[in-house]
Amino acid sequence: MGAAVLTFGVVDLLAACGGSSTSGAAKTYKVGVSNTLTGNGWREEMICSIKAQGKASGNVTQVTVANRNGGPAEQIADLRNLISAGVNAIILNPSDRDALNAVIKEAAGKGIVVVAVDQAVSAPEAYVLSNDQVKYGQLGAEWLFKQLKGTGSVVEMRGIDGVPADTDRHQGFTTALANYPGIKIVAQTFTGWSLNPAAQQINDLFSSGKKIDGVWTSGIDATIIDAYQTAKKPFVPTVGADNNKFVGQLVSLKSSGLVGAAVTNPPPVGGAGLAVALDVLAGKSHPKLIKLTPEVWDNTSSAGVSTLQSKYDASLDPYYSVQYAVAPYTTYTKAQLIACQS
Amino acid sequence: MVVGRVAIPFVPPRLVRRHGWTIGVYALLLASLIFTVAIHPTYGAFDIKSLALGALPLALAAAAQTVVVLSGGIDLTVGPLMAVTNVLAARAMLHSNFRDALLIAVLVLILGCAAGAFNGSIVVFSRVPDIVVTLAMSFVWGGVALLILEKPGGGAPLDFQNLAQEATLSPWVPNALVLLIVVVAAVWMPLRGSRLGLALYAIGSDRTAAHASGVNVPLVRILAYTLSGVFAAIGGLALTMTTGIGSPLSGSFYTLSGVATIVLGGVSLAGGKGGMLGPMAAAFILTLIPADLIFLGIDPNYGQVIQGIVIVLVVMVGGLAALRRKPA
Repeated sequence: MGAAVLTFGVVDLLAACGGSSTSGAAKTYKVGVSNTLTGNGWREEMICSIKAQGKASGNVTQVTVANRNGGPAEQIADLRNLISAGVNAIILNPSDRDALNAVIKEAAGKGIVVVAVDQAVSAPEAYVLSNDQVKYGQLGAEWLFKQLKGTGSVVEMRGIDGVPADTDRHQGFTTALANYPGIKIVAQTFTGWSLNPAAQQINDLFSSGKKIDGVWTSGIDATIIDAYQTAKKPFVPTVGADNNKFVGQLVSLKSSGLVGAAVTNPPPVGGAGLAVALDVLAGKSHPKLIKLTPEVWDNTSSAGVSTLQSKYDASLDPYYSVQYAVAPYTTYTKAQLIACQS
Repeated sequence: MVVGRVAIPFVPPRLVRRHGWTIGVYALLLASLIFTVAIHPTYGAFDIKSLALGALPLALAAAAQTVVVLSGGIDLTVGPLMAVTNVLAARAMLHSNFRDALLIAVLVLILGCAAGAFNGSIVVFSRVPDIVVTLAMSFVWGGVALLILEKPGGGAPLDFQNLAQEATLSPWVPNALVLLIVVVAAVWMPLRGSRLGLALYAIGSDRTAAHASGVNVPLVRILAYTLSGVFAAIGGLALTMTTGIGSPLSGSFYTLSGVATIVLGGVSLAGGKGGMLGPMAAAFILTLIPADLIFLGIDPNYGQVIQGIVIVLVVMVGGLAALRRKPA
């Protein structure tokens, strides 16, 4: 990469003038990020992973983040502004599968590499790198139903109604349920992927007096364990995500009778998406669709326990995912992710 | 007033006094545009189109809110109604041709009209405060949107989408802008000068006085909500045009941002004061803020802070100007 140093100044100048540099000649890049759910720990970690990967790659001069609460209409506006700002690559967490296709096509027409992470888009120009959310719902539910030996009352705590990832996970959950006729869903709630509503909902369920044999959550997990502890109720088998605090609870509360499993859903798909985009800009090829298969880490098998033990990290934010990298794509260090600077 | 006369010598002072806020908002819009070009010299036709596309649904949400607020009410169903009409249109228009899509659009408008009239009737006949009724109805309409489309989906023919997405006249005149001007000119302008328009302002200023002068207050209130429903339906159709799909959650942001827009646009939340032109410019200003933040590379979390500060500052300056005027 000796040539990279020589061309640095010229390209930088080009980028500064807003000129869309041709992909072959450019060695440093401006990157745009579009996200439409704010105040959410998972999404913040996703954005930090993009910044960290930009820093680790050494050839990203600027990461511009368009981050606000909104729907497809707002995201289209943000994407158009990023195109106008002269970025070379756009990493986006799409608010919809189809609504962004026109603007993605427009970006691709200007030589911008577009990578959708976490959720898919249907635009043929875009690269998609995401966790298999149907499998996420299915694997966790199957583990739970097996744990309950096929009979019992289960609570399904979903995310946001109408959001693709929630619908996909529910589809997986329903697929698993079809094989367990003895399992009864006593309540279905929408946590909005926020802590407070989830705490409220589980407490409401406690006071309703309903019999609960197991809880499946779409990732708002540690809050439920906290609620069981506060209410001094015996734990029931609980499924959550690979969030740091929950992973810690699965290890430390095992002796107090907590049985549970964490299903992986790594936020660094953001950083991995940038790595793919930079590869494509440098002329390397990648498949258009990269799907990560979630893993289930339970605290009932010895392999699961040792994974949980090795993944828990007291120095990490309690609501961050313990997966700070997505192999083989991301190259940053954990310190770079936590620093969250571009 | 002296300052006003010196600064704008060619505009009659009375006009400035009556439309001072609106003129101020347009001056602010011009200043924001100049600022944007200064920080982003390549700002051009592409960006004008981005701006118009982004501002269109917000401007229509603001129009819907303006009508009700002028009549002395508030309508918290604007966003959910936009979502209902958005998903309804997208669901019906999937795989349809352009002509059918236009027909569906007309039906959706009629439905928006009916939904608005329904909201207004409950407000008037239940005698429960409008903020409570429309808050409750916002949950009802939000649920209806989810019943129509559980998750984002549907579609619309490309020609229909291009009614907002293309720039037919000139690259510098996006269709979204033309559409907005046509809608406001066709729906609001005739009404503004009519007896109904006068009655709308009258019940917003003083309901008792309006009643005493023979205005049918309940009817005008219902009509205000009906008109709000029409604007919300056009907003929902605009979302279908700009996104090409229906999303049951698409309206969530438009109720409150619509209120913010009309406040910036000079509509008094106490009712009876303001117009339609101010909020339209305000929608463009509020759409420019996030764009400028992207161009400047500033943390977008400041966007909402800046938006809030702009609104408070503008309302404060407007209030001070009104205070200074009173003694004279």
